[in-house]
Amino acid sequence: MTYLRLFLSFMKIGFCSFGGMTMIPVINDEVLRYGWMTASEVMDIVAVAEMTPGSLGINCATFVGLRTAGIWGALCASLGVMMPSLTLSMVAAHFIFRLKGNKLLESAMRGVRPASMGMLAAAAVTLGITTFLPESGVIAWKRIGIAVISGSVLIKGRLSIPKTILLAAVLGLILG
Amino acid sequence: MKRKNYLFFIKFCLVYEHFVKSYYVDTMAAIGFLILDLMEKEYYDKKWKIRTENKRSRAFQMEKFKKLCTIFYIMAKIGLFTFGGGWSIIAQMQNEFVDRKHWMTEEQVVDYMSLAKSFPGVMIINMSVFCGYAMAGVEGAVAAAVGLSTPALIAIAVVTYFYSSLRDNIYVERILNGVRSVVIPIIVSACLKLKKTAIQGRSSYGILILSFLVCVLTGVNKLLVVVAALVAGLLIWRGEIPDDVS
Repeated sequence: MTYLRLFLSFMKIGFCSFGGMTMIPVINDEVLRYGWMTASEVMDIVAVAEMTPGSLGINCATFVGLRTAGIWGALCASLGVMMPSLTLSMVAAHFIFRLKGNKLLESAMRGVRPASMGMLAAAAVTLGITTFLPESGVIAWKRIGIAVISGSVLIKGRLSIPKTILLAAVLGLILG
Repeated sequence: MKRKNYLFFIKFCLVYEHFVKSYYVDTMAAIGFLILDLMEKEYYDKKWKIRTENKRSRAFQMEKFKKLCTIFYIMAKIGLFTFGGGWSIIAQMQNEFVDRKHWMTEEQVVDYMSLAKSFPGVMIINMSVFCGYAMAGVEGAVAAAVGLSTPALIAIAVVTYFYSSLRDNIYVERILNGVRSVVIPIIVSACLKLKKTAIQGRSSYGILILSFLVCVLTGVNKLLVVVAALVAGLLIWRGEIPDDVS
């Protein structure tokens, strides 16, 4: 019964949110309603999600599921949060594939492509502000140094991305 | 199949009989059944043919299974190195699927990225479903989504177990500092790579700058940005794609 409830409530979370930090309030409501966790534990989720690879949604689902109902709970919850992708996006992908070559769709996509590049650039800027200027007036020079070194190695030296991340981790360990 | 032909013959005889005895209504009904039967027969023939062809080509199935395994493995590798809200997987997908495997084009990556962002649910799972579907159909989509979340599941299980000792550890904090800073150059590199496919013509620059400013300055939902850009694209190009810019 707990498994089903975990699955359903995380399915709801998946359908009601658009990823990233917008998920936190929805998760908060849902988790507190069933008494699965306390409010301070919800804050722990964010810390854990930052510590581990993977997106916030999957990480939260796994964390909550693991705390409430063990490993099977974790599986149920993360399957639930994946449901909108597996249904809605699958159907959308099917139709996009069938419409391939359509002139109208192609011209619409020509408008969307620069916009998605803009969104990506905006994500880089906002993430950069929160990372390099953690508090107002404070500039994290060490982080900027790590970013510049690893970035130049990535773009100029053509190092693969996993290796770059490992390099940055080592740099962080040394520089602090 | 033989039984089907036999039934068809009987129905034909029925039509003939009714026609000879000039029962008009019955003749029409029998002709209707005959047509239905013909359609059904064609349908079953086609289905049968497809099924036998698939069964015969075991090599084809092995090929597909291999492809699915590769997708799963690559997605698991990508999932292991996803930090900072998942934007960095765009760069990794370009690297693996476009540059190395050639299973997708750069344009597909850009299109699916905007779609994934504007659909409900986790963005990177949406992205992996779109890409998996493009590469190997429904099975590919499932393999990609499961592959992406497997390392996250394992990592969370481990971290939850050691959470109290990891929380205040200075070395973990330092490593995370480094990883958080490297996410930004990764996103920038993905963005630079997209330039060639995304920017076509002068009006693309306008859309790019506008959407960038809107996303940075306001916290508006990304779905709105994508829909606005879609409408703008329709209005600017109106289904007439100039071939000269490439």
